[in-house]
Amino acid sequence: MHRRDFLRLLSFALLAASGLAPRRAGAAHPRERSRPLQFVFAQIRYRGGDWNPHPLAVTPLMEELMARTSVEAHASRHEVGITDRDLFSYPFLYVTGKYDFDPFTQEEIETLRRFLTYGGFLLADDALGQPGYGFDRSLRREFKKIFPDKELSRLPSGHAALRSYYLLRSVGGTRIVHPYLEGIQVGGATPVIYCHNDLGGAWERDPLGNWTNACTPGGEQQRRDAFHLGVNLILYAMTENYKEDLIHVPFIRKRLTR
Amino acid sequence: MNQIFFLSPLPWWAVLVIGFGVLALLFFQLRSLRERLSPAKSWTLIVLRGLVYGVLLFFLLSPGLIAQQTIKLRRSLTVVVDASQSMGLPASPGPAQIPNSRPTRIDLVKEKLLAGKEPLLRRLARDYELRLYQFSTDLETTTAQSIPQLKAEGRGTRLWEAVREASRRAGPGSAILLFSDGITDREATPTAEAPSLPVPVFAVGVGETRGYTDLRIADLNIPDFAFRGREVKFEFSVRAHGLAGKTVPLYFNHGKSLIASRSITIDRDPFETRLSLSYTPREIGPHSFTLSIPVQPGEAIAQNNQREFKVDVQRDKIRVLTLSGSPSWNYRFLRLALKQDPSIDLVSFVFLRTPTDSVDVPDNHLSLIPFPIDEIFLEELRNFDVLVLDDFSHRSYFNIVYLEKVRDFVRDGGGLAMLGGTRSFDSGGYAESPLGEVLPVEMDGKSSYEIGTEMRAVLAPAGKAHPVTRLRADTEGNEQAWKQLPALTTLNRVRRVRGETLLLANANGGRGGAPLLAVGRFGKGRSLAFMSDDLWRWNFIAVGGKESPQHHLKLVRQGVRWLAQEPAFEQVQIGSIGGARKPGEKMDFKIRVFKDDFTPASNATVRLRVVGPDGEEFPLEATAEPSEGEFTALFTPAKEGSYRIEAEARLAGRLLGKTSKNFSVAFAFEEGSDGRPRPELLEQIATASGGEFIPISAWNEKSLEAMATRLEKIAPSEIVERHQIQVWNTLWGFFLILTLLGSEWWLRRKWGLI
Repeated sequence: MHRRDFLRLLSFALLAASGLAPRRAGAAHPRERSRPLQFVFAQIRYRGGDWNPHPLAVTPLMEELMARTSVEAHASRHEVGITDRDLFSYPFLYVTGKYDFDPFTQEEIETLRRFLTYGGFLLADDALGQPGYGFDRSLRREFKKIFPDKELSRLPSGHAALRSYYLLRSVGGTRIVHPYLEGIQVGGATPVIYCHNDLGGAWERDPLGNWTNACTPGGEQQRRDAFHLGVNLILYAMTENYKEDLIHVPFIRKRLTR
Repeated sequence: MNQIFFLSPLPWWAVLVIGFGVLALLFFQLRSLRERLSPAKSWTLIVLRGLVYGVLLFFLLSPGLIAQQTIKLRRSLTVVVDASQSMGLPASPGPAQIPNSRPTRIDLVKEKLLAGKEPLLRRLARDYELRLYQFSTDLETTTAQSIPQLKAEGRGTRLWEAVREASRRAGPGSAILLFSDGITDREATPTAEAPSLPVPVFAVGVGETRGYTDLRIADLNIPDFAFRGREVKFEFSVRAHGLAGKTVPLYFNHGKSLIASRSITIDRDPFETRLSLSYTPREIGPHSFTLSIPVQPGEAIAQNNQREFKVDVQRDKIRVLTLSGSPSWNYRFLRLALKQDPSIDLVSFVFLRTPTDSVDVPDNHLSLIPFPIDEIFLEELRNFDVLVLDDFSHRSYFNIVYLEKVRDFVRDGGGLAMLGGTRSFDSGGYAESPLGEVLPVEMDGKSSYEIGTEMRAVLAPAGKAHPVTRLRADTEGNEQAWKQLPALTTLNRVRRVRGETLLLANANGGRGGAPLLAVGRFGKGRSLAFMSDDLWRWNFIAVGGKESPQHHLKLVRQGVRWLAQEPAFEQVQIGSIGGARKPGEKMDFKIRVFKDDFTPASNATVRLRVVGPDGEEFPLEATAEPSEGEFTALFTPAKEGSYRIEAEARLAGRLLGKTSKNFSVAFAFEEGSDGRPRPELLEQIATASGGEFIPISAWNEKSLEAMATRLEKIAPSEIVERHQIQVWNTLWGFFLILTLLGSEWWLRRKWGLI
């Protein structure tokens, strides 16, 4: 365990004792009591490296999601292993990290391939922000095994994921490693979207409500972009290319040209 | 005249040697007689012996005689008269506006055969072994007595087939005398086959081509059906004779509405141009169209200036509109199932934001579009086949009166599906809405929505044979497929099912349970209720269990098709139409009837009727077939045109369904549409067969003689019989020799030589 993780756990323990701990998985949002949960933010727990660099990142995003959209979401994340029996109960998966991680087993690779081919969605987020090193290197290695004949490629600025709710012109995060997203196309959809800018870091807030990480160089606007992107990616996962339907095209074009 | 010939194998020199030997013998006999008798008596005896030797020598040459006998024959002649409708057209050009004012072509033929002091028919009967036929589409034997009553009523002309059949029946040495205008259903001339005819054809052409004036719409290339919203093309030709230099308008009407017009300049004679018009139908069902050109002065046929036809407009794709209360996995996988089906056109609205949700950006930074309430419910809804309310409540978005439009949409034949969720059924406020009576379930007013209990779907009795829940063809396999589907965790409770319960949600592993999937009918439309928003689990959770997502996809697509009343999902189905679809020929219809649970309804009451081209109705009797739920009916159309068969089935007085199907009845060609005589075709047939072509106006006594002369060359009217008689083998030769030898013997005895 890294020193930073140890300090984080220690602060949780102290806050829990004072009743100020952030809501964990299973805690109910006010709107959850009367409504079922349409969306659960499931995060992949893998071996090696650091699968959990921002343990408090999801709740702020879920609060944002429920405040801005009609989606009913579980306030906290659900941690899931790739070979867990209930993996397919969570069609939206999030994987993040900083460092190199252990290669996936063959079973994990096949499960992910099946998951992504038949309608699941995976958001990958590089918390280190160093292309070619650490998490990025391991992730690309694993994607090569999951989809040997496909490449992670840059998504166009008009991709449906960038228009699924907000009309996004920039990609946020704690740092701007790349001003774009990458993705893997399967059929007409993009079941894998990869962000290099540490979205989780921008979403994370400590139990006292302060932002854990600064966003540079864009500051709060850049953080807002990260939230908007998070919302968009969740809606994209739940509606796929809905915003590319003909009925939306003229409206969106009109707004983008203003 | 008899001819003599010799059959002896002896060479001529041998006969000469024998002759000289005979003469030498006679000389020595004469010298011997002269010693005992006077010269006169000696010469008398020698002459008699010489004659005997001469006869024997003649017989030695084996003489024969050929006797000839001439026998007169009655030759065979086949008279074939064209009795098709075109022969009822005026024989000579003139305005069409004065009908019955001029003799028709068949009148001219009858006059030619029957008029005069000695009618042609009688003369032919006298001189020939006469066979009489009339023809249109078939060759039929007729009699001389029937010719005066002959009418041009045949609905087609198979000229070449008739000539070939007549020649086959006539046999060699005969001839065919053909009276026709040459109009035939065959586009290709049969001259390549004509030389193979065993008899010559003397073709008498009826009808004048000079001055023939007519304009017609022909060669229609019209599809039997078209797809709604897609352009359909109609191709046809405009042909004209005798109208060069004129410009005529062409009108294209849909029903009574003019939808297009063209101006056609007739720049040559004869004139032909191929045209194409298009139309995009917006409504499903039969559509009537008319092409017409005003009748021009002098036209021979007025009717062929107008053509009517019907096109059955069908949906090319099932148009589905989904309204989802929020983004959800149910929507995600519903969309997947519908978008991947090429026969489904999906328009979906997902309410991404509720009125209470706030955003931190201006509206123009959002991709949200306003929900076009008026446009959807007041205008466009009728263009959809199925409306899916997916966990959607109208409460936050529009007035309840718009749901009346949805009710009307279903009553008029649309399909409505409601999928479960916290905004559906009672929870969505539908119990008291206009959709309360449309949905196949009765709501309990308690807004009961259960979550968390795992429930499995169990096939209800009505679901076992229903096309919506048929995941596999065999019953056992189907039940097994349903058992294997993942559990659901949510359920909207309803008080009871008004329609048919197809699936039950069971939490205990037993056979009963709460209604999960129900279907019903409302007016002409259908409705479906799925009381859970966990439908997606049958896709993705199944995939996670290494099963196929196919059962989910199949259920969704079958549900949509059933709601859209696809023919295969209708309870009354008109199958293939058998028969030639020609006037006068029997057609047979097969109708299949199913109960609400889609088991065969063998004891249903089926009412059938055919609606003819002019709206006339023909009730048909439906006969139950041994095959369960199958009925058949026969119908013989009397005329060409567009027909429609309508079927309605009831079980114990309750309507099971109605359906209809269009079909067209037509000859393969257009008899009477193109009235221009075809002398060139008759001439080709006549020439190629070794006969002759004679216009009826040129037919006279000489024509008859010319035909007889031509016939004489190929089939003489008399034959010569020849017999061969061997002279030496007759009694006359024997008696001659006996008489000569007897006379010699008697004289010798008298003169004392014996």
